[in-house]
This record gives sequence, structure tokens and C-alpha cells, in this order.
Amino acid sequence: MPPAISLYVHVPFCRSKCPYCAFYSFPPAVGDIPSFLQALEKEIALLGREGDLPRIRTAYIGGGTPSLLSVPDWRRLIRILERAFTFIPGAEVTVEANPASLTGGHLSLWKDWRVTRVSLGVQSLQDKDLLAAGRAHDRRLALDSMTRISGTDLSLSVDLLFGLPGQHFRGWGETLREILSEGVDHVSIYQLTLEEGTPWGERPPNDLAEGYPFYRWAQYYLEKKGLLQYEIASFARPGRWCRHNVSYWRGGEFIGLGPSAWGYRKYQRTRNIPDLPEYCSMVARGKSPVCYSERLEGDRLASESAILALRTRWGIRLQDLRRDWGDDLPERMAAALKELPRDLFRRSPGRIALSRRGMRVGNSIWERLVP
Amino acid sequence: MKVPTERIRNFCIIAHVDHGKSTLADRLLEATTTVSAREMREQILDTLELERERGITIKLVPVQMKYRASDGQDYVLNLIDTPGHVDFSYEVSRSLAACEGALLIVDAAQGVEAQTVANAYLAVDQGLEIVPVINKIDLPSAQPKQAAKEIEEVVGLDCSEVLLASAKEGTGIPEILEAVISKVPPPFGDSESSLQALVFDSIYNNYRGVICYIRVTNGTIRTGDMVTFMATRKNFQVEEIGVFGPDMRPVDELGPGEVGYLICNIKSVEEARVGDTVTSLRTPARSPLPGYRKVKPVVFCGFYPIERDEYPQLRDALEKLQMNDSAIFFEPESSTALGFGFRCGFLGLLHMEIARERLNREFGVDLVATAPNVIYQIRTTAGEMIEAHRPSDFPEASQIEEVLEPFIKITGFVPAEYVGKVMQLCQDRRGVFLGMDYITPQRARVAYELPLAEFIIDFHDRLKSVTRGFASIDYEHSGFKASNLVKVDILIGGDPVDAFCFVCHADRAYQRGQEVVRKLKEIIPRQLFEVSLQAAIGKRVIVRQNVKPLRKDVLAKCYGGDITRKRKLLEKQKEGKKRMKQIGRISLPQEAFLAFLKAGDDEEE
Repeated sequence: MPPAISLYVHVPFCRSKCPYCAFYSFPPAVGDIPSFLQALEKEIALLGREGDLPRIRTAYIGGGTPSLLSVPDWRRLIRILERAFTFIPGAEVTVEANPASLTGGHLSLWKDWRVTRVSLGVQSLQDKDLLAAGRAHDRRLALDSMTRISGTDLSLSVDLLFGLPGQHFRGWGETLREILSEGVDHVSIYQLTLEEGTPWGERPPNDLAEGYPFYRWAQYYLEKKGLLQYEIASFARPGRWCRHNVSYWRGGEFIGLGPSAWGYRKYQRTRNIPDLPEYCSMVARGKSPVCYSERLEGDRLASESAILALRTRWGIRLQDLRRDWGDDLPERMAAALKELPRDLFRRSPGRIALSRRGMRVGNSIWERLVP
Repeated sequence: MKVPTERIRNFCIIAHVDHGKSTLADRLLEATTTVSAREMREQILDTLELERERGITIKLVPVQMKYRASDGQDYVLNLIDTPGHVDFSYEVSRSLAACEGALLIVDAAQGVEAQTVANAYLAVDQGLEIVPVINKIDLPSAQPKQAAKEIEEVVGLDCSEVLLASAKEGTGIPEILEAVISKVPPPFGDSESSLQALVFDSIYNNYRGVICYIRVTNGTIRTGDMVTFMATRKNFQVEEIGVFGPDMRPVDELGPGEVGYLICNIKSVEEARVGDTVTSLRTPARSPLPGYRKVKPVVFCGFYPIERDEYPQLRDALEKLQMNDSAIFFEPESSTALGFGFRCGFLGLLHMEIARERLNREFGVDLVATAPNVIYQIRTTAGEMIEAHRPSDFPEASQIEEVLEPFIKITGFVPAEYVGKVMQLCQDRRGVFLGMDYITPQRARVAYELPLAEFIIDFHDRLKSVTRGFASIDYEHSGFKASNLVKVDILIGGDPVDAFCFVCHADRAYQRGQEVVRKLKEIIPRQLFEVSLQAAIGKRVIVRQNVKPLRKDVLAKCYGGDITRKRKLLEKQKEGKKRMKQIGRISLPQEAFLAFLKAGDDEEE
């Protein structure tokens, strides 16, 4: 039996578009959601024509805002997925949710299905920050949502943003403290990045906060509270790592469904067309909605694997590298890293990972591994 | 047209920059119909594109004019143009040596300037008859009487019959031509004695090889003759001789007093140096004409190709340039920061800038020039004399007995109200006051001796700004003298970086070291490790600063869809680093590095 892989479903809808967001999403017009669900079903059917669909070990339903789908829509989505895929026992299933649209109905439905984690887009517990970031929710809603999720046996993960315009370090500290008291298992922290093609990318806001102290504090505080940094942007209680994401960083295969979704199978990375009408019409015509694909080989693939592995606290296992790529390449990479200050790394026999300090300057380190 | 020697006049024009030398030369060519109006371009004598642009004359172009004077006789007038700039004072002296007279042009509005005087004195020393001309009398601000008075008082020439002209409007031109004939003496020479011809310039031509500009003093030179260059001891057969009218026109022979060109298959100007004497191989002259010397560069800098793989192109271009200009010196050198390049020597800053621009324009080489420095003489404790062309030629501080540097005497003509500022500027540049007098109540002549090193940095610019352009200066070399000089090393991460080290007076070492370190700190991006920046004299560190290590550099998010994008970003980032200058473990953006060197040109004080 082929090994189980991961599944990503992109729900391309949001109530409103945040000014920094570069993901493919938009406020749905009447009929968009049914069209999307129908096309999704069709896309899966097309995949099934190529061969047996693999079993699923982790699934991630993201977006966009999956919680924007109503409970009936969600029922349909679940039906579509269940009909097509076999989830292995103990499969991890994560759903992304937004405090502004999450309801108790969603939660009980998800729980009854096979959802194990909810990733809540809190971003900040400071209303000032939420306003600045153009979010649709406020502190109150965020706290309510967290309490609600904590009240279930779903594992709660929270996304936070730092480096927002005018963001205060003190407020960041409070946000971290409060989410912990809400019983989170997992926190992802992201620095605001200005992306091309977004309103803020075109016209950057003033007084963007310098990210360093925020990140530095999270590294110190969250670990002190028992959430280990297991990846550049991810902290979790032991064992509560997001297995889906870890699989990305380990080069695991995944199927991507929905407009703009990426997939990775057999060293082939693909992207679906980021346009809902186009996506719908392609699958309706029985055509693959893939608009970009690349196949990585040799040095580039090896370096990418090493770089991704170095994102995580488990780092690179030299033995694995040698097994996959031979002696030469791992030697070259090791040599490139050896020139750097030692305190950027945590070394253990046969293994090399970034230290906390190393994680803060990851880009400059990974760059050395680019062929 | 052949005329007897007594109807030849060889003369030049000496003037301060912008006093109208080239325009006057143009008018003379027109008036003698040497150049028809159709051929007339503005300032036809300045051949190099660069000269036209800068409005200054560098290269000498002799031209023969025929003129029927008021006495009804036909005369041949050879106008030998001279470079006006002090960098080329040797070339000036050689072209003066080819003349019997000189027109001294003074701007009616500005009066006598430093270069006027310097070149007039040079001409007087060479025994030339000087005909003063006051030009630009058409200007509303013209004060010809005042100008005449200045000529009398400062240069010491009789101005009772001074000529008044406006080259721009063409007034006074016939009078000037008549004065050349009546006042400038004809050449004298013996057509029967052994050949002696002065090479007063030479240029390289892609098709003809070297073209020598010569003035025959004695004897006759003919096509086919075997000739010897007395200084270089090279023999050649004369391929072609001719005159400039102003285009090259071959003739069969050139006799005493005649000026023209000589082509004899010479491959490089190095073999036909300015000031050399051409004589006959069979019956050589007993001695060469006086005054020849090999010019030595006084200002040095490094030329490096911006693209490292353009080194061979730069070498070829320099070789070609040297064929054209034997005063340029170069030798290969390498720099940790700049890679492979050349140490180049020049007669002065203008000469250096011209070379740099010609390399860029005529040979298409993009280069970076390091800050210029003078040549140093170092007496070691072992009693040896070392000549240093660059700071890194300095031996270890403990082995230096003393350092000598070249000094110059400068003479400035300064409006009275700026005298204080000019004196302050000279003092700041380690100048020693030599003297001052007032030419008129409004204008003073100030003389200082100061180190050439202080002069080449940005003295001209500073002078211009403190006097609003109303002062003029000229200088002459006054030899090497001991100074309290130190070599300051700049260390990045503990390694000395040659491109940044410099020599300066001990009293300024700290301040300049601080400036360099501060500027470096601004341009060096944070690295993964702390980088120390130091300025040191020998082992003694005088300035120290650190570039703190990079604190945060991470694009945090990276999920399924971000992997490709992320990899592309890293690849781009890496590509950017490849274009950076590697200095030891440090990578520096090329632009920042070049900006630093550029700033070094004019901001070292």
C-alpha cells in the first residue's frame, strides 16, 4: 500500500481583504461558494482518474477563511472529502478559523467529523493593532473564540502578527500572556511582510514596528511557558507540533485542492490557477487546473531539502542527507556552514540545527546553502 | 609654398584658461584663410573630444598659416598651440622652445591671472619675444587700461603699444598678424649643418603609427633620410614629412625654422619622446638640443575594472593610451578589495582625470579609481631609500627613519577681500607662507609652499568655493622634503584592507582614521558576526568601532505554497551577494564600495 500523504484544501473566501494579505481570497458573491464546492468535487474526480487517491495522514483546510463557509456548506465539503479520501487512523486534521466568523455550530460539526486542531487567526489581542491591520474582529471576539475552542477537546493554535504599524512591544507581551491563559497548545508568529500586489506592498504604511524585539521576546517567553520553538515561526507544547506543517518541512508529499493551492508529489511541485471562475471552468471541462509546475532535481532539490529541514528544531540529519544525496553535497553544505559563528547552531552527533540565535537570522544562513 | 627662413615666424599663444586662446587661434586661421569658413568649426585646434568638452587645451596641434603682410611679402606663420595646464608644464616648455615669439593674451575684464604669469615667465626664460594682447574688449566689464597696467606691473612687459582685440567679434586680428611679423624674430639656423629637429609633441595614430611634431632648428630633413632620436637612440627611416594646414600635407623637406610632422614607422610614443632631438644617422649632430628630460609622474592612483573579468581590456586600453601619452605610467597591482588592476602615475590631477575619461570613452572600460596619492621617498633605518607609489609600499613603521614628500610652491592671484580665506586654506593644508604683495589695491599675489599631497585632494575645489572662483593659482614643484607622515592601516575584521589605507600627516591620522571608519561603518551591512573596524598606525590602533552582527533576517512563513517562492527569494538573495565585493569574510554591496572610494576622492579632509 502506498504511504499516506498530506492534503491541503484552499478555501478562497474572506469577509474582507486585509491590506497586507497576498493569498488568493476575496469576499464571495452569491453562488461563489456552491460553484467552489462543485469544482472541488470535480477536481478530486479528475485526480482520481489518474490513479488511486492516496490515503491521508494530515489534512489542512486553510484559506482564505474556511469558517466563512456556513455549517451546511461545511457539511457538503466534509461529504466531498470523505467520499474521496481515506484518512488513516489518528490523522491530524486542521481547520483555519477567524474569530469574526467562527460559530459554535462550526465547532461541533468539526469535532463530530475528524478535526483535531483549529488554527485561529487572532493576530493580536490589542484592538489598536487589529484596527491597524484591517482585521474584521476585535479583542473581545478573539477571546470568545479562544474560550469556545478551549472548551472542546480540539487543540487550539493561534496565529499572531508582529511588526504592525505602531505596534507596541508591551501589547505584544500582553497578547502572548493572554493567549497562554486561554490554553493554547500551539502558536505561530509571523512578522508582517510587505508583499507585492497588496495595498501595503504598493504603499507601505508608516511607523512599521521593528520586528526583532517582538520575535526575541516570543522566543524567550513562550519557551519559558513550555511552548518549544520547533520551527522558525512555530511554538508548541511537546507533541502538539503541527504534523502537517512539519511534513512540508521534511519534503513530504501533499495534494493541493482549490484555486491557487500548491501540491507536491513525486518531486513535482504544482500550483492551481489562482482564479475561481477560471478554476471552475477548467475542471468543468475536465482539464487539470494546474497553472505552474516545476520539477526540482539534484543540487537545487538537495539544498531546498536542507534549508527546509534547518527551519525546524530537528535540523538536518547528516546521515539522511548522505543517504539521499551522496557524500559530496552534504560535505559542501557542512563546509559552508562551518565558516559561520558557532553560536548560530546547535550541534549534536550526526545532526545540525539552528540555535535560537540562528533562527533569528535564518535567511542569511540558508542563503549559504543555495547552490 | 616655400619661403626663405627670414619669412617664417614660429609663435604660440599663452593665456589663462578662458581668456580666449582657442577663439583667437580660430580667428587667425580664418584671417589667413588657412581654413575656409566652410571648414571652420569652433576652436578647430582642439582635436580631442574631451578638450572640446572641457574647453581646455591639452594636446598641442601646430598649424601652418600663409599670410601676405602689409609689406607685400608672403610669410609662413607657424602657430604652436600650448596646453595651458600646469600638469603639462614640461610640454609647455618644449613647445615654447619651438617658437621665437608668443602672444600673451589677457582678458580685458579679468586681468592678469596666475597661469598668465607662470607661462609668460616660462616664455621669457626661453628668450621668446612676447607680444601682449588684451582680449575681450567687447565685454561691458572690460577694463583694458587696467589690464595693460597689470601686464606692465606684474609681468614687466612694455604695454605702450598693447594690442586690443576681441577674438569673439574678430576685431584687432590684422593688427595681431602684423605684430607677429614685425615683433617676433625669424628663426635662424644653418641649413647646411647637421640635422637637429626638436620633437615638441607626438601623437599615436592607428593607421600611421606615431606622428611626431617637429621643429627643425638646423639642417634639413627629407623623406627617405635615416634619422636617429638622440635620447632614445632609436633609428628610423623617414617615411613622410609634412606640414599642418591644418590637415596633414606632405612636403619633400623641412629646413631650418620650419615646423611640421614626421612619420617614420614608430610604434609607440615612448620611442619618440617630447623634447627629444632628431638628427641624421649618417652625420649626427654633436649634441642634442637642450632641455630634454624624461617626465616623471607625480600623482598615483589605482585603476581597477569594475567588472573583474575586464582586467585584460583595461590592460590593453592602458597600453594604447600609453602609446599616445608617454607620461602615463602603469604597473599591475592587486588589491584584496578590488582584485587585479593597475597602479598608474600621472603628471597631475587633470592628467589623471583625462586618462580616466579617455579610458572610459575611447576604450569603453568602466573603472574605479582609488584616491590619488603622491610619490613618497622613505629612508629606512637601514639607510636605504625606497620610493613608495602607494601606501602599501611603506615598510613597517619600525623600519622607517624618515618620510619625504613632494612639495610645491603655489602662487595665487586673489581679490583682496579673499586673501584671508586663501591664507587660511593654505595654512590648513600645512602650507608655509612665502610672501604676499598687492599687484593693485584690489588684488594680491600670495605665495605658499605646501605638500603636493594636500594640493591634490581638493585644493582647487576648496579654493574655488572660498573665493567664489575669483582666485587663480599656479604651482611649480619644489622638491622632496621630510614630513611627519604616517601610514594608517584600515583593518576590517582584523585584516588590513589596502584599498582603504592611506598616508597622512601624523597630526591628522586620528581624525582621518575616524572619518574612514565612520564611513565604513555606514556602508558595511550587518553580517552574521560582529565586524571590527580599526584604524591603526603600525601596531597601534587609533580608532576602533564595531559593526554589530545581524539581529534578525528571516521571512518567517513557509508552508506548502511558500516553499517555491521562498527558494526563489533565497536564490535572488544569493545572486545579489555574488555581485558583492568580498573583503575577507565580509560582503559589501558593490555600489556602497564604489561610493566609498568616490567619496574618498573629494572628502578626505
